[in-house]
Amino acid sequence: MTPLRVVVCATAALGIVACGPAPIDPRRQIGAHPYLPPIHQYLLPPMRIANIVPWGNATPTVPKGLTIRALATELKNPRSLYVLPNGDILVVESGGPKGPVNRPKEFVMNWLEQQAHSRTTPGNRIVLLRDANGDGVPELRTVFLDYLNSPFGVVLVGNDLYVADTDAVMHYRYRTGQTRITDPGEKLCDLPGGPIDHHWTKSLTASPDGSKLYAGVGSNSNITENGIQAELDRASVWEIDRATGMHRLFATGLRNPNGLQFEPKTHVLWAVVNERDELGPDLVPDYLTSVKDGGFYGWPYSYYGRHLDPRVQPQRPDLVARAIVPDYALSSHVAPLGLVFYTGTNLPPKYRGGAFVGEHGSWDRTVFNGYKVVFVPFADGRPSGMAQDVVTGFLSGDDARGRPVALAIDSRGALLIADDAGNAVWRVTASGS
Amino acid sequence: MSSDNPRATATIGGHPIHPMLVPFPIACFVGTFITDCVYWKTANMLWADMSAWLLTAGLVASVFVAIAGLTDFLGDRRIRSLRPAWVHGVGNALVLILSIFNELVHTRDAYTSVVPTGLILSGIVVLILLVTGWNGWAMVYRHGVGVRREDDR
Repeated sequence: MTPLRVVVCATAALGIVACGPAPIDPRRQIGAHPYLPPIHQYLLPPMRIANIVPWGNATPTVPKGLTIRALATELKNPRSLYVLPNGDILVVESGGPKGPVNRPKEFVMNWLEQQAHSRTTPGNRIVLLRDANGDGVPELRTVFLDYLNSPFGVVLVGNDLYVADTDAVMHYRYRTGQTRITDPGEKLCDLPGGPIDHHWTKSLTASPDGSKLYAGVGSNSNITENGIQAELDRASVWEIDRATGMHRLFATGLRNPNGLQFEPKTHVLWAVVNERDELGPDLVPDYLTSVKDGGFYGWPYSYYGRHLDPRVQPQRPDLVARAIVPDYALSSHVAPLGLVFYTGTNLPPKYRGGAFVGEHGSWDRTVFNGYKVVFVPFADGRPSGMAQDVVTGFLSGDDARGRPVALAIDSRGALLIADDAGNAVWRVTASGS
Repeated sequence: MSSDNPRATATIGGHPIHPMLVPFPIACFVGTFITDCVYWKTANMLWADMSAWLLTAGLVASVFVAIAGLTDFLGDRRIRSLRPAWVHGVGNALVLILSIFNELVHTRDAYTSVVPTGLILSGIVVLILLVTGWNGWAMVYRHGVGVRREDDR
């Protein structure tokens, strides 16, 4: 028996374990109009944390017509990916900073979070993989950029490489083909970091014309329990001027926006967003949405438009009145952290133009949700139809062999998946290609 | 008057432990009610955090207080024959149970970790403590539980 199960069983024996609604079929919460059940607040919220076990010789599962194999293994917490124009693949090995303990609850939460993550110490660096012949076996694997501060987002504009550490956007000069950067770089602008740094992954992308950067800055709490003052400039997408480093809040009310990407046809910014916890197994659905300039998406005051969250006081009816309903629900607690539009030609035609979403997987739900990569079809720059499972098999009973995070498309059109629990990067190609 | 007072069993150097420890949970639980009230009025998370710490500290202290108190209760038949001892014991058992639930309520995030359920539970606990405290004092100051008589020396 794991210590975790001992705790769960002991609380169950006390008769105080979550008495609440049974989880619904997640398919009811996928798409533009998710079913939203009534709020349920618990004495002890339901929790189910996957034990992390090694992959061994196993791999994730893909549908017929696709092939998956590891591009790299034995990485140190790979969370994010970026493909350079010459085909080199950057793997961001990263982990969150340690925060202060403000409440007794946080001792328990920190311990639970440890259970759900790899035991490997995060590299806090970027590893470069070069697979010049595209056979899925890198000829070169080297440390590209070291000694970073919980990095996540990476974007290249011309010869300027930007890395979003948890507390700053750093700028480095890059030459095509370079395999190592030793230059300390310079800071383009600060981002909200510690001492409290609850949602620490700062996603990064550039506008199609390259003049602006967009950074996802997650909230500093589940639902303002660290105080509203800790949320200054957070739960938002920042627009950063590349020339001056000045920024403005492009959109707000996005609890934890990740996977920032411009949709290739319409050049509209999209993100996947992790919504709030502890309102029940099916609240609040995480979502995929276009991010509108000046848009407010609810957090913390409301969700899915004007559904008020009773945990937030004082309320802001003025903001709630203009809260935008997100475009496409992914169902609750799937924890989407990766988003990529498929612009390649290697995978079957049905994937072209649609979006892949990496779902890290749930912890506050008695039935696991997420732990897979799904495909959302798009037509005319909008989601059009039901999400389909593409890469599964990360779970094995109560165990997780891996947890998908960020996604990328490599120069040959293969789908790449960073797996931070399995310490691997997976590569999905069309069978026989 | 009997020739001897009811004796405390859990003692250090002849001093009863239970009355030495009992102020800690009482102060913590009364403090929880006060910080809950301030949070209710201000919605400043600082006060809700204080409540969570006070409540946790009160519960931890309660375990030791309960062990010492139960030892005394079981250790001398004369204590068990006192009505205030039963009111005190049963009331404080209720305080402990309500505070465990209150602790869980206080692990929620932000406003509903206090308002209204946490605040109500903290208030009820204080009311019960007034009764159990009164009866506890009656045991010592009226019935001389754990008090050594002059002529025992």
